[in-house]
Amino acid sequence: MADALVTAEGLGKTYGVTNPTRALDGVSFEIDDAEFVSIIGRSGSGKSTLLNLVGLLDTPTDGSLRLDGHDAASLDKDGRSHLRNGLLGFVFQFHYLLPEFSVMENLTMPARIAGKPADKSEGAFVEELVEMLGLEGLSKKGANDLSGGQKQRVAIGRALMNRPRIVLADEPTGNLDTENTEAVYELFRQFNQQWGTTFIIVTHDQAIAQRTDRIIEIRDGRLVQDVRNTYGKPVAMLGEGLPGR
Amino acid sequence: MLSLRIAVRFLRTSPVQSGLIIAGIAVGIAVQIFVGSLITSLQANLLNQTIGSASHVTIVAIKDGDPVTYSDLVKKTVRSSSLVRTVVPVRTVTAVFTKNTQNVPLSVTGGDLTNLDTIYKLTARTQRGRASLGNGEVMVGKDFADKYAVSPGDRISLNLPRQAPVNLRVSGVFDLGSSAANARSAFTGSGFAQRALGISSDKYSAIQVQMTDPFESKAVVADWQGHLKVQGIKVNDWQVENKDLLSALASQGSSSYMIQVFVLVAVALGIASTLAISAVQKTRQIGILKALGLSDSAAGSIFLWQATIMGVVGVVGGIALGLLLTTGFTLGTAKSGSGFPIVVQPSFIAISAGIGLTVALLSSVIPTRKTTRLDPIEVIQNG
Repeated sequence: MADALVTAEGLGKTYGVTNPTRALDGVSFEIDDAEFVSIIGRSGSGKSTLLNLVGLLDTPTDGSLRLDGHDAASLDKDGRSHLRNGLLGFVFQFHYLLPEFSVMENLTMPARIAGKPADKSEGAFVEELVEMLGLEGLSKKGANDLSGGQKQRVAIGRALMNRPRIVLADEPTGNLDTENTEAVYELFRQFNQQWGTTFIIVTHDQAIAQRTDRIIEIRDGRLVQDVRNTYGKPVAMLGEGLPGR
Repeated sequence: MLSLRIAVRFLRTSPVQSGLIIAGIAVGIAVQIFVGSLITSLQANLLNQTIGSASHVTIVAIKDGDPVTYSDLVKKTVRSSSLVRTVVPVRTVTAVFTKNTQNVPLSVTGGDLTNLDTIYKLTARTQRGRASLGNGEVMVGKDFADKYAVSPGDRISLNLPRQAPVNLRVSGVFDLGSSAANARSAFTGSGFAQRALGISSDKYSAIQVQMTDPFESKAVVADWQGHLKVQGIKVNDWQVENKDLLSALASQGSSSYMIQVFVLVAVALGIASTLAISAVQKTRQIGILKALGLSDSAAGSIFLWQATIMGVVGVVGGIALGLLLTTGFTLGTAKSGSGFPIVVQPSFIAISAGIGLTVALLSSVIPTRKTTRLDPIEVIQNG
């Protein structure tokens, strides 16, 4: 049986030494290719910690993590950087665009980091991406000259630039109005369906969570629920812990 | 190269900050070039004035007043050294010039004009009349000529020890660049001094030697003393006779180095602090870039590139500013007539440029290390 794309076994994270705080405790799950997953939980429950561990931005204090067959523990810093650049894409709540660079430069930054000549051989792909994101005519604008929704669309494009197998999104709609929230969801779903990209979305937004294929709930650092969405059936049937209950 | 592109963009988006660092480097390098070249040129000028027209190594008899024989051994010894620029055997006699009731002692040096020119540059320094030391001719200094109203073509009478007064015709008036020398020195042909001293044709008052590098005289003197002590002669070194001057020059050199070092330290601290601030200001961007997969080494090299770019631009600007300052100084003092030209050695510019770049690169060590070590999670978690 082939490895899952993401395999977490007993994943844990403790911050601090003198006053240790257990942020994540023994979390195990598997996520396959092309899944569309949300991670939910209250503030401070450990869901962002989990996302940071899966995104190789942080290291677990215990347990193991495998990404596309790579054992995270065996990766050195360059190895982690390499996977973050190629295998993973990130969308953050605060978009984290680089204000010194234009929209196009922000969009193609992961390709530049990978050493690809983003302006040439990747040109057709970039054009397609710009079109799908609705960013036509904004390429030369500065990152700070965009609206919140436009910035988040650029951030989504940047996350997809190197055609990663996994996109990790941490509260991607946290700062957006309803219209832009819907637009972001539609984009995620579109890329998931068209390109088979796996999406793992940390969210407080129950409307978003209820439209993902699988919902993982974290409470006090523990995984308390991991259910498949049975669209059309009442959400309550999926178990306790979903937002709004 | 992505790190370079990011470095350039960071610099361009903070033009005031970048401009201030570049200006700091430029001023530092300009001060170094100006002060360094000024002191070096000042020292060269002082040395030239002091010993440019004087003997560096002088071979004389051990007993004062005795002549020295310019023997084959002496000739062979002095000519064997590649450090010797010129050898001028001279005969010097003290004469007294009398005008009205005043008796003026004159040190009359007799020798061949062409030979004397290699040390005293009499022909080039002749202000009035012409440079000539023919039979019965004498050249006198400017201050002497002015004070006693002597002009080329005039005849002057000189009293020599135990001899009848001698009448000589003034052929020219020279300026050796020193009032004392101009007031007390005179030059005649070799035969006059030989007759006045009553010595044979192979004997001289002194064998004067100039070196290609005056500071090599110590080694030469030590060598020659070993060879020539049996001949009843001794070898004098200008460095021994001018210890105070050398001490002053050394102190001047040290103070120049101190000024340059402190200026560069100030520049280094300025660059380091501004780059450190820049590194803090760009922490968020570096963290995001690392989260996107930029490696530690690539992130670290951003500030190394920044330092290199600012160092190169600052050094080039500093060289231009330094040359402008030295040219301005030279022109300014030339107008007042009291100055000397500042010579900027290309090698010194190269050294200054090298030091400037090194200082800039060293100043980037702290921000580079800070950036290399930055963990992207610090930025992502703190928003």
